[in-house]
Amino acid sequence: MDMNNFIKSRPEYSGKEGPIRCIFFCEFHPTAGPIISCQVPENYISKELFDSISVYIITKAELQRSTITVTLQDYKILGFPIRIDDRKYARNAYHFNLCFVCDSNARTVQYESVVVKLSDYLVAMEMERNFLSEGKTSANLQPILTQVMNDLNTKGECALTSTLTEGTTATHLKICCIRLDPSPVMDYQVPIFVKELPEQQWDLTTQQVTPYIDGFNHVARIAALSDVENNLVKACVQNLVYYGVVAMVPLFQYGNVYCTTPKLKDLAQDPDLQSRCLTYVGKSKIQLPCIRDVFRMYAAMTRGTTVRDLCMRFNPPNLRINERKLVQFGVLEGIIRRVNKYPVILNEQSDLQKVFSGSCSLDEICCSMGASSQQLEDQLERDHSVVMLWK
Amino acid sequence: MEVSPLSIILVKSDSKGDRLLFRYPFQTQKNNEPSSKSRKNPYTLPLVEDTLLQSTVPTNTAINKETLMGYTDEVLSSLFAVKMELCNRKFELKVNDVRFVSHPTLLYGNQKDDEDGSGIMLVNMVFALHALASHSVVKCYHDLSKRMGIVLRYEERRCGYVSEQTKLMTSVHDDGYTNGPSSVFQIILEKCSVANDIKKMYDDLCTTGLVNLRINKWIPLSFCLPQKVHQWHMRGRIVEPEDIDRTSLCVTTSKTSSSSKSVRNSLFRCLKALRPYHSLLLLYPLSQMNDFMSLDGSPSLLRMLMQYSPLKNLQTLAADADLTLSHVFELTAHLVYWAKATVIFPICSTNKYVISPNAPIHLNSPLIEKFSESFPGLHLIRVISEFSLPTSLGQKCNPLCHPSQQSQLIKTIIWMLQHHLLVQLHTYIQYMPTENGLNSKLDFSKKHVTSSSPISTVLSSSYQLTNAEHSRAESESGASTVSETPELINARSINISFTSTENDKQDYQEELLLDFPDEERSSIFKIPATNTPEDLKLFARLCRKDYFQGNHHIEEIMYLENLRRSQLMQLLDKFRDVLITYETEDPAIAMFSCSS
Repeated sequence: MDMNNFIKSRPEYSGKEGPIRCIFFCEFHPTAGPIISCQVPENYISKELFDSISVYIITKAELQRSTITVTLQDYKILGFPIRIDDRKYARNAYHFNLCFVCDSNARTVQYESVVVKLSDYLVAMEMERNFLSEGKTSANLQPILTQVMNDLNTKGECALTSTLTEGTTATHLKICCIRLDPSPVMDYQVPIFVKELPEQQWDLTTQQVTPYIDGFNHVARIAALSDVENNLVKACVQNLVYYGVVAMVPLFQYGNVYCTTPKLKDLAQDPDLQSRCLTYVGKSKIQLPCIRDVFRMYAAMTRGTTVRDLCMRFNPPNLRINERKLVQFGVLEGIIRRVNKYPVILNEQSDLQKVFSGSCSLDEICCSMGASSQQLEDQLERDHSVVMLWK
Repeated sequence: MEVSPLSIILVKSDSKGDRLLFRYPFQTQKNNEPSSKSRKNPYTLPLVEDTLLQSTVPTNTAINKETLMGYTDEVLSSLFAVKMELCNRKFELKVNDVRFVSHPTLLYGNQKDDEDGSGIMLVNMVFALHALASHSVVKCYHDLSKRMGIVLRYEERRCGYVSEQTKLMTSVHDDGYTNGPSSVFQIILEKCSVANDIKKMYDDLCTTGLVNLRINKWIPLSFCLPQKVHQWHMRGRIVEPEDIDRTSLCVTTSKTSSSSKSVRNSLFRCLKALRPYHSLLLLYPLSQMNDFMSLDGSPSLLRMLMQYSPLKNLQTLAADADLTLSHVFELTAHLVYWAKATVIFPICSTNKYVISPNAPIHLNSPLIEKFSESFPGLHLIRVISEFSLPTSLGQKCNPLCHPSQQSQLIKTIIWMLQHHLLVQLHTYIQYMPTENGLNSKLDFSKKHVTSSSPISTVLSSSYQLTNAEHSRAESESGASTVSETPELINARSINISFTSTENDKQDYQEELLLDFPDEERSSIFKIPATNTPEDLKLFARLCRKDYFQGNHHIEEIMYLENLRRSQLMQLLDKFRDVLITYETEDPAIAMFSCSS
């Protein structure tokens, strides 16, 4: 019982996606008003409940063709009210709404496009052969709604084919996850595959770009290597980020500085993370490094210690550690974080104030100026009006 | 920003029907653009393609310049004059990309002279939000609507306030139909106090996130939208109330915990992250806290703020203000929730600070100006650049330093902490006895830590909180001895009585680490310091209490175990082969200041 309550209470915080509990079809009856004419499973939504919310289901004209979600105490009802104007109907118009019902604490945005598409399918069927209004609504719809609910809940997609009268019609429904927009991709960032690229027909840009994504080339370099326009590469990489295939990491340089995050303790405690880490950062697959050395190297990453310093102190090849992979893994898992340098020029007269204002990191500046960070840093060091902030 | 409301709508429904009384913001002048929809010819035949093509047109949005557009008052009032079954509970409706949330409230007017017989009236104050607004934002707005409902219900019962205001607004509406509708809401805004309150509420929610109203000049209504209030210093990152709740690292309990447990559960879980050794840092000068306090009216808050200093930890603060520690925790959580304060580790000379990863410092930042106002002659960027590398107060002031310079330095650090520009680094310790880490960790902890979870460890150790206070005074006087746990004393005394002195050393080692796996024991014994019984004993004790799992920083261990820094540092140095240290921010404190 406790467990049930626990599971029930969880989606509220995360807004988790939940299954469809019920699909019902409701129409405006010329004499009886709004009624549910078909429901799968039967009697899931009671007559009384429906009456109290029918105003949100068979709506005023201004709200036609809007996705409307009502959240009740126990249910969430998602509908898309539709009106078809035609003289043949008793009131010159036919109102209907196909609604999905979910748990009240589940996320339902992902079903919106499905409801819209399914409703449009029904509109077409109705217009072509009075599929809904001919009086056998329940018998006609029952199998369709059952199939849609079962398929969407189990497979996440559904292919409907109808052979009721002459010819066949088909429609395909699929639940699309709605994710947050990925943040913009910068020239100096490095894309890295975190998943296998799914086998499918990718667009031409992606096909041309992906071979150069190796976890070491930054975006501007990939653009140059693949001979694709810079903005196209960014768009393509951003798209891959959206699908979770690619993650962005900072450019690896031996002069980089990293620092540990509180997540480092997970590496000591989580055996699964440990084994993934060792296989990833090992120089060879045959003989893996040992966790104590790896942990020591991570622990030694503080502000002021460059990767070069670390390599001199630990000599990673001796420990069977690939330092590039070590940094990559740490950044991807959030064990460590890059410490960026932000040069600020305090000399008011300088025309460099725009660049060295403190809002651009050194990486950004190097990439846009095409200078190596060593060169730039040496130059900045000589100028006393420049202050370097590390954060 | 998706946490600000798009619009606030007030709807009533009674025996005379439903009506939208007021909405804010409203357009003062009607836009005179001709409606794009041409009148439909009633003789055209509906084409299948036409209806189907509509689906390719993106569903129209009702949001224009961060306000709600496109719905007439009639539609909105019919939507929000809900049926009886939906009253007095949360109401949530999403239409395309707008989410409406409210708490429809039934009022039972007890006025005898009420001409409509039933006397039941529904008022519904609806907030229109972006559909993307998260669950917690929706929850907060629902709460606000609910509170408003309660206030209105009370005021209706007390003096018929709502009926009077409603009558006023309806009459303006009725007059408006003859005068033209454009200025109706403007007139209402001038005449009705409820409309004014709604306007003020909307403006406050959009700017600060703090609402402070006195409805009908009688009942105070104060509300805080944490997602908004905490935003000014965490650019772009939205703080959820659960964030303040969530850091359930471990429960530090004081002795009164059990009695106040139910209260605490209903309070924010921010309390759980608080420790007696943390300290409170007000974000505003004390003088500015007055208007906040008059609202709250709690005498204990006043008492606590009288004794406030960022250099005191909460325990001292509680003692000075003569309050219980748990009450000070609650007050602190309250201040943090209302974004009046933040929590830091008390400023002392060993604290190491670095620049916060998302500190908004650049040449155009208004903070630079603000800083030089408080500290003439100093430049924020120059001062903060000294914290590019982890720097402690002790490092920065040398003994020759003038005391005034030192206090200036502390003031600048406090200023930067108040503006969340600095974070403190703590040293954490990880026990790694063998090359393969803690492979046998599972049975290790099962075997020797009777209370294996870190939570219970802290529980049990802070149990001795009151004792620790006493003995601390002693230890600071110089004669510090590490108190031995009773079992260890037992083990030793048995040893001494039954074994010869030659084997003694070997045996006490074995005894002390009896519950450690063989592999770990052998690697520990390679360390020369194990020959000193005191060191080994301390090591074993701290290890058993799971302090070396990266969950406790040095300062916490010092506090809980009543140790001095030098003792602990020596131990760490002696056992550095099996103990790895690293520096990072305290997640419990970092959540108050920056994204982690």
